[in-house]
Amino acid sequence: MATAPLVAQALTIRTVADALHVQARGFSFIEGPVLSRLREGRSVRIDFEMTVLSKPEGPVVKQTMQGFTLSFDLWEERYAVSLIGSPPRSISHLRPRDAETWCLENLTLPVSSLGFSRDTPFWIRLAYHVPDIGPEASEAPSERYTLRGLIDRLSRRREEADLAKSVDAGPFRLP
Amino acid sequence: MARRLPRRRRMRTLALLFVILGLPLAAANAQEADAPEGAIIDVVEMSGFSLYSLSPGLQKDINSLVGAPFSREGLNQLASRIEQEQPDVVAAVRGVSRPDGKARVIFLVARISDDTNLAENINARYIVETVDVEGPYNEISQQLRDDLQKLVGRRLDTEEAERLQERLRTELPGRAVARRISKGSQTGRIRVVFEIFEEPWIRFVPPKSKLVYHSQQGWSGVLDIPITASHSRHRFTAGVVFNDIDDLIEEYSGFRLAFESRVIGTERFGARLEFSRYNESWEDATLTALASSSGVPELYRNRLTFEPTATFAFNSSVRISGGVSLSELESLSNSPNSQMANAWVLGISGDHLWKGSNEVRQRAEASYQLRAAIDGLGSDLVYKRHLGQARYQIDQGRSTAIASLSLGYITGDAPLFERFSLGNSTTLRGWDKYDIAPLGGERMFHSTVEYRFYNVGMFFDTGSVWDRNSDSKLRYSTGFGVHTDNFFLTLGFPLNNNNDSGPIFMAGVRF
Repeated sequence: MATAPLVAQALTIRTVADALHVQARGFSFIEGPVLSRLREGRSVRIDFEMTVLSKPEGPVVKQTMQGFTLSFDLWEERYAVSLIGSPPRSISHLRPRDAETWCLENLTLPVSSLGFSRDTPFWIRLAYHVPDIGPEASEAPSERYTLRGLIDRLSRRREEADLAKSVDAGPFRLP
Repeated sequence: MARRLPRRRRMRTLALLFVILGLPLAAANAQEADAPEGAIIDVVEMSGFSLYSLSPGLQKDINSLVGAPFSREGLNQLASRIEQEQPDVVAAVRGVSRPDGKARVIFLVARISDDTNLAENINARYIVETVDVEGPYNEISQQLRDDLQKLVGRRLDTEEAERLQERLRTELPGRAVARRISKGSQTGRIRVVFEIFEEPWIRFVPPKSKLVYHSQQGWSGVLDIPITASHSRHRFTAGVVFNDIDDLIEEYSGFRLAFESRVIGTERFGARLEFSRYNESWEDATLTALASSSGVPELYRNRLTFEPTATFAFNSSVRISGGVSLSELESLSNSPNSQMANAWVLGISGDHLWKGSNEVRQRAEASYQLRAAIDGLGSDLVYKRHLGQARYQIDQGRSTAIASLSLGYITGDAPLFERFSLGNSTTLRGWDKYDIAPLGGERMFHSTVEYRFYNVGMFFDTGSVWDRNSDSKLRYSTGFGVHTDNFFLTLGFPLNNNNDSGPIFMAGVRF
């Protein structure tokens, strides 16, 4: 098993076996409206996207997406995270930063799928968005399941920037 | 020695016994009595998990329970330690009394990912203490109230709570429903709160997006993209119109931009600004009819409109609005000369929704609008346009009945975009508007009766459009098709058409 932290930027990468992991300092998402919703006992879905680029803003080499469901245990006062998809994976009793880290640890790309040699530079874009923060931010419910409602949802601008974030970093090289 | 845990964990209670309901328990019979405090423990079992997956220290502490007095607090601490060591599980503990007076202890452990409720929301491990509704509780049916209360005393079923939330939305149309959870009065208990938000008193103008096909008139397309901000108080809409021949006598393309605010200081006051620019083209039937008519203003190639309006809501049902509509019409034959059609706009509208028993829902809407173009606004065309509309809809189960009535009246010299027309995808379905009145008319009457069952609809339209100096002729049409709120596929038949024309096919989406 090889673990290789690389460039010290907003993002760092490491490889574990054939999996490329990304770590992000200051890439918090349990805050703002997400935090408010969790504290009200609601669950929040967060979708992550990790994209490997061959150049800054350049062509996409590989991309992976993963969704997570977060909730806040009202009595334990700790966070729980479940990975959406198969195989199901869940964890609880986490502090906020640990919950965020767990999400990123479960967002991986197979190194072999990149087709890079060790000296090939590449860039990474890490992004998340919260697809639905709840009915209080939505239109009248009569529009909920209509095409109009769909367009509204697709085009609605969130005033809270916390509902989506993206960070680019590079160049990286495989160890 | 076990670390001393926070009080809330020490007080873990029967709430966690939900696991008993969710795990196959060969050993624990739910009818067995709980072990009393102080009873000597003679058996310790672990269900759903291997004891050897735990740390040696925790294994030792669990094994050392044998022979010790039963202590609920101490056992809860051990359950908490299991969860801390294995964060992908939830753990509870139960002690049952044996016939010999000793206690049997069972640790009940379940993986979170094995339970969709827990994976969705970790608070699904807790027992619901109360279910509250914040909002118009009296408007909820007794059946739904009862079903809401069935959540109490059970572990939170998030899927069932979601279904109940959806039923609330259905029973309280026009309102938003949210759900939150808070701590109950006892540790391990939770309170579920359904929040119902009133619909704003002033509503945004619905987007007019559509893609419509009419077998006589062709395609019409409109795409409005609304962008809502600031908790839905304000909305900006950008719209593009592609050859819309469905609405008016003219066929027009262009764009519009609108900004709306439905709360300005108070929910009673709102405002709207719309700017639009359209290029017009005209059907041969209109050109021919115009050549032989008098009193109809000239055609235009471009229509530029700015329309600021303000709305005041008396309550959630009745609103009054006023403003101006300033239009510049660039002449088709004498470009770049243009005419102004500047009008005061005054409107009043009301709607109400009744929800009765047996899933019966009724909605009534009525509106009246006056557009008065006068010299004082610098208008070249002076006219008054009155339009009254009413609509009633009743839904019961899969059945829907709709009745609507429109009356229009124009005095003066109204431009063509103000003149009434019938015979499109919503009025006198089965007729072609260019066969009825290719220049539109100054008077209009139209009514519709429609019945739908499982989205299959039948209708009967009646209408007439005419000018002040001509006689009115009442026309009828009927037809059927697939009709939903957003989609329609209609075959319309004109009933008293002497031209022996066939049925008209219409299809499209509106959203």
